[in-house]
Amino acid sequence: MSTKRLALIAMLVAQATILHYLEGLLPNPIPIPGVKLGLANIITLLALVLFDFKTALNIVALRTILGSLLNGTLFGVGFFLSFSGAMAATCMMILLLRVFPVLSVIGVSIAGAIAHSIGQLLMAALIINQPGIFYYLPFMLLFSIPSGIITGLLLKGLLKYIQKTGGGGQLSGE
Amino acid sequence: MKKNDILLIGIIIVISLAALLFINILGKSDNITAVVIQNNKVIERIDLSTVKEPRTITVSGDYHNIIKVEKDRIRFEKSDCPEQICVHTGWLTKYGDIAVCMPNKTIIDIEK
Repeated sequence: MSTKRLALIAMLVAQATILHYLEGLLPNPIPIPGVKLGLANIITLLALVLFDFKTALNIVALRTILGSLLNGTLFGVGFFLSFSGAMAATCMMILLLRVFPVLSVIGVSIAGAIAHSIGQLLMAALIINQPGIFYYLPFMLLFSIPSGIITGLLLKGLLKYIQKTGGGGQLSGE
Repeated sequence: MKKNDILLIGIIIVISLAALLFINILGKSDNITAVVIQNNKVIERIDLSTVKEPRTITVSGDYHNIIKVEKDRIRFEKSDCPEQICVHTGWLTKYGDIAVCMPNKTIIDIEK
């Protein structure tokens, strides 16, 4: 592993952790559990574009653990919810990036938000043993559109910048 | 944005609106029963149509939830859990409505 790659992975973990933490500080716009912008998802998707699946998964796992450690929910209910949601989103997005590349970054980001919601609800339904919680899914699906578009657009800007500065080419060429 | 992205957005909107419509049609009912559950155990089952005097129920666990019961409606009124999602859910008034306090593992579910 090159030093540059190692440094970049560490930086992405740090950035994702901070985004995860900051997002927890924002007030919930809608009184539905788990509805949020998903800013940390920008880094997940960026990691998937720049690196392989395993590296991205590691970054996501580290980010949820460190983020929860910062906001004091580590191994609490909130941690398991965001962990399962983030994992589901990562798997969904890698499928749409590599196996079925039919969507743009924005579409992939929306699909990631949906997978996040479903993963989270599955975990919540398991924890409280109450499938009725899927009642929230339609609201979460609707909200995944604006949040997916916003994070997708942010990532698009970020990718354009990375390409311009030439950072992406060196990394993906590894 | 690609054409497929627009298609995806369209499909999501149609599915979620259909689900919401379905929930609302299904939820029409005069007599609703609220079930308060904690740790998979039913704490109380209340026929909301017969409630005369508003009252509160306190559910203790890792945290404490105060549940307000009124005629035809019920809600988490107060909670000392960190995110307050249960309180922000507001009143439950129809079949299918559900409010959950994940940290305290408390659920209010509405049955027909």
